[in-house]
Amino acid sequence: MNWPDLSFGRYGFYIWGSYLFALVAIVWELVSLSYRKKSQKQEKTSPRVLRGSTNETTS
Amino acid sequence: MNVYKYASPTNFYPLAGKMIPWFATPAAILFAVGLFVGFFIAPPDFQQGDAYRIMFIHVPAAWLGMFLYVLMAIYAGIGWAFNARLASMMASSISVTGAMFTFISLVTGAFWGKPTWGVWWVWDARMTSTLILLFLYIGFISLQSSIEDPRRADRAGAVLALVGVINVPIIYFSVQWWNTLHQGATIRILQKPTIRGSMLWSMLILLAACWLYSVAVVLIRVRCIILEREQNAARFAEATL
Repeated sequence: MNWPDLSFGRYGFYIWGSYLFALVAIVWELVSLSYRKKSQKQEKTSPRVLRGSTNETTS
Repeated sequence: MNVYKYASPTNFYPLAGKMIPWFATPAAILFAVGLFVGFFIAPPDFQQGDAYRIMFIHVPAAWLGMFLYVLMAIYAGIGWAFNARLASMMASSISVTGAMFTFISLVTGAFWGKPTWGVWWVWDARMTSTLILLFLYIGFISLQSSIEDPRRADRAGAVLALVGVINVPIIYFSVQWWNTLHQGATIRILQKPTIRGSMLWSMLILLAACWLYSVAVVLIRVRCIILEREQNAARFAEATL
């Protein structure tokens, strides 16, 4: 096994920067999805007619 | 078992809910294993030193960005041609994750380009065509959200997705068709890879992790879309399953 210096010398900023960015993007996606689910749960308790919902009626 | 019944969004909704943990859990484990192999077992590259470790996230993100676009176009095309609501919902769900991976590939590519090429960005054929892919994703998402009627939004999005799919082979073959700064493919299906085993394994494990993550997230999002469009029927189907 090869135990590297995790500061990666002069490449540290670029390596950790790229992984940090990927992590932030993934966390952003998961958080935005959880907000979307949460808002749907709130709508379940106070229902309203949604866009394209089968509840919609046309006049 | 009649599998065709799952083509209905209301029947697919509870099934998707049960499938999510089967993709999310292995994704989390494979992310940890892939990063461990990539950071602790794979040795530094003889030319690039440790900078090449950015490839472990850059390459899977780039592959997923292209693959998810093709998948999105197929679903959008099926939804358009056969008036299949679930297929159109899947296309909408895939688009956000595909855009995210394309954005990750562009940014991590820039982080790799600066220490190796000396610049963050060049208007190279591979990078420019990948940027166009990101714009296609953004265009698809914007177009769908700008049209009030979801069925019309699906049809308009399908046209854009199918036209834009021509960009995927351009991205893939750009390093062969043009004299680009971007390096050619290191891993080919029919040829022996030219990188060390531990480097290849790290990349493949992280590719599997990204793929499993994408499936889990797409399923979560498609459940949200089903609820938004057919909320009462979906909740009834889950309650009765």
